Amino acid sequence: MNAFRLGILVAIIAWAVLPAGAHHSFSAEYDANKPLKLKGKVTEMRWANPHAWIYIEVAGKNGKPEKWAWETGGANALYRRGWRKEDLVAGTVLVIDGFQARNGSNTANATSITFENGKRLFAGSSSQNSATK
Amino acid sequence: MQGIWQVRNRASYDLEDHVARHEMPAGRGVVQGGPIPYQEWAAAKKLENAKSRLTADPLANCYLPGVPRIMYMEFPFQIFQTPDHIGITFEWSQVHRTIYTNGTTHPDGIDFWMGDSRGRWEGDTLVVDVRNHNDRTWFDMAGNFHSEALHLVERYTMRDADTIDYEVTIEDPKVFTRTWTIKMPLHRQREADRIFEYQCQAEAEEANGAFEPEPRTWYPGPLAKVTIPAEWKDVQTPWQAPARKGEIRRMADGKPDLQGYYMPDGGGANYGLGKHEQDFLTPAGRGVIVDPPDGVLPMQEWAKKEAESRKLPERGYDDPTAHCFVAGVPRSMYVPSPLQIMQPPGYLVILHERMSWRTIPLDGRPHLPDHLRLWQGDSVGRWEGDTLVVETTNLNGKTWLNEVGEIVSHAERVVERFTPIDPDTIHYEATVSDPLVYTRPWTIAFPLNRQKDELLEVACHEDNQDLQHLKDIRDEARAKARGQS
Repeated sequence: MNAFRLGILVAIIAWAVLPAGAHHSFSAEYDANKPLKLKGKVTEMRWANPHAWIYIEVAGKNGKPEKWAWETGGANALYRRGWRKEDLVAGTVLVIDGFQARNGSNTANATSITFENGKRLFAGSSSQNSATK
Repeated sequence: MQGIWQVRNRASYDLEDHVARHEMPAGRGVVQGGPIPYQEWAAAKKLENAKSRLTADPLANCYLPGVPRIMYMEFPFQIFQTPDHIGITFEWSQVHRTIYTNGTTHPDGIDFWMGDSRGRWEGDTLVVDVRNHNDRTWFDMAGNFHSEALHLVERYTMRDADTIDYEVTIEDPKVFTRTWTIKMPLHRQREADRIFEYQCQAEAEEANGAFEPEPRTWYPGPLAKVTIPAEWKDVQTPWQAPARKGEIRRMADGKPDLQGYYMPDGGGANYGLGKHEQDFLTPAGRGVIVDPPDGVLPMQEWAKKEAESRKLPERGYDDPTAHCFVAGVPRSMYVPSPLQIMQPPGYLVILHERMSWRTIPLDGRPHLPDHLRLWQGDSVGRWEGDTLVVETTNLNGKTWLNEVGEIVSHAERVVERFTPIDPDTIHYEATVSDPLVYTRPWTIAFPLNRQKDELLEVACHEDNQDLQHLKDIRDEARAKARGQS
């Protein structure tokens, strides 16, 4: 990642103190009682609207790799926050935190991601239209 | 070029000469000077596309058609012209294009289904560079295709008052051996004074049962006679104009100049119009209801019950925007997504980043006949001093007011007021009168704040994975309910 852009991202994270502003659908799909934090390697980033997806592989309980799908804010929101496709190429190691799906599948809603060097990105849906503004 | 246009050819079926096939009428080609110059692998791929076209065609799935295909589909489009932008609104799925003529350049590192269009005038010809394409659109139903390296140069030249010669030079070194050109006339639709909506995905889902009718709010047909009670009209009068905070921009004719890119500060209205706390992943809201004074929607008893029911996880699937359908009025104005306002001669045009548009004629024309109902309704506007007043009727009652399911029906009539209060802020108000759902009219207000950023593109339905999850939640709840009964 370009150092300048990372600077912008970190600055944005600093004021993005809101939790992952998202929506009703998220409240329906994800479980407030299942907070989750996983470390893994990116296998794919799907740069999509209305929501983008980060696919990672993590070390499972019995040593077998497990695949997880993490839903984030929409591609446009991420783009305006300074995210670019090349920031999350396959193989990137990161820690993602958020909430697991109600149905118990390997699907979760991302609040933030943290790179190995400690840099953290806000991954939620909507800070631009936050109710506090 | 301002006006309503459409081709009279069969190019959207096949750019080349073709005889009729299943669901494909015959037509002459529009490719200049010989067949499309495919590389060898690409010619094979095109044949494969043609064989599977009934399912593989992006349009068979209601995906965005891309450019140039959208320009020669059998649906009309309307061109709006200002010095800095040319806006094109399409009947097909409320798609829009902005051609920037303000000297700006293509953005970096992002691609769009509809590409990115930057134009300039060369004499009387509009020349448009279209780049930033993805590799998922086709040129036609016959499977002619391109890669993300596609670069188009469109040329628009008026042959006479009612004909545009439309020419596109197509370059894609990954797929073709050389550049090639298509050419066709666009014809002014003299008999049309507006375009309607063809909401491709919504129509498909209504037809296949994936989007279920709601008889309490959907327009049931011309037998429905709902009138707004006469006494309701007085609730918002006299209307108080908001205080001016600075000089405002003006057009050459002295009217306020509202043009630009805006982000609504909708105060969390998309998650509840009244004041509300954050609930897990559903954001808080400061409350945007200014009338009634208590800030609570004056719902009828049935509507209160229905709104409560819509908050259940299994009702998340029923929100039309979860299906990526358009948001309706006034919701389009406070979904957390930017919008662009254009003021071409005779109109105010609103382009929403979540692919939909509103074209508001200012020429005093009457509304459409009552029985013609649309997702975005029929809007007409007029200036009252420095306030643009827009009245919207003919709504179809299929939309929700927000993600928590606050309700409007086909009886809804909306009066919006756009008042600039300084060079960069529009004070927005909307009064909604809906006698099927509410006990009195109510009004919301919030600012639209100018932003520097151009609009991006939200291709929603194309990559929407949430809908299936929401459907699973609904289906599970239904199965459980059936098991208990």
